[in-house]
Amino acid sequence: MHSHDDRKDLDLIRDARRGNEGAFTQLVRRHESAVYNFAYKVCRDEVKAQEAWQDTFVNVYRKLGQFDGKSKFTTWLYSIVTNNCLMKHRRRKIDAESISFDEPEALAEEPVTDRSGRKIQTLPSWRETPLDTVMKKEFRSHLERAIVKLPLEYRLVFTLRDIEGQGANDTARILKISVPAVKSRLRRARVFLRNQLNEYMTS
Amino acid sequence: MRKVIRCTDVFVHICENLDEKLTSKRCRAIRRHLKDCPNCRAYLASLKTTIRLYKSFTNPAFPEEIRKNLFSNLKPNPKLARIRTQS
Repeated sequence: MHSHDDRKDLDLIRDARRGNEGAFTQLVRRHESAVYNFAYKVCRDEVKAQEAWQDTFVNVYRKLGQFDGKSKFTTWLYSIVTNNCLMKHRRRKIDAESISFDEPEALAEEPVTDRSGRKIQTLPSWRETPLDTVMKKEFRSHLERAIVKLPLEYRLVFTLRDIEGQGANDTARILKISVPAVKSRLRRARVFLRNQLNEYMTS
Repeated sequence: MRKVIRCTDVFVHICENLDEKLTSKRCRAIRRHLKDCPNCRAYLASLKTTIRLYKSFTNPAFPEEIRKNLFSNLKPNPKLARIRTQS
């Protein structure tokens, strides 16, 4: 069942297909920020994000007749911008197989208990991060370095699921992978980023 | 019989239901484990903080000129024009 926003998109698409250029303009304006933000979060580069944005809306303009309306317009749109981001991505020598997604040692070992049998915490807690710390350049650089290291296939899932709030089924459709693959990649992305930040957050 | 969960099981499965109030046997077992395991609670907290930090990461402002470039570069779509003449 389509939401109000979905129906608005479908109305604009119908009008754009009838030659109403104003309808296409409205369609772009409705989604331009979301597409740019997503492209930037994935590409981590302003120039590439702008190029992916342009390519995306050119693709939408040219292929509007092919959108069948069976899925949400936003699902189709995100598929297109994802493909454009993937095309801009240079395959690195470091790929997913060589990245570590290991659990912390404290979780792999048998838990340490006190005399009464209660488990003792051996995994360091992360320090609190006040907002002014988050905004500091050094901290933001650290976050940025970590996510740039994350292989693109994992970065895409993390961005769609955790940042954009897309559901697992929609994410699977956008990336053309299975739902179990979405869950597996998301778990690995979260673990990797958490591990990258761990030393900084416990020092 | 109650399902027994170890910390390594929590590591594997916790991510699946980080934000979801699932009621499967495994999810209930994970919640029971978390009550008694400070390591797993600390780990879960660190995962949630990781996500929260990246959600708060702000993007550069939308560059308005790319919209202007788009509309000035788009040539009339012949397929749209055909539909227009047919309708």
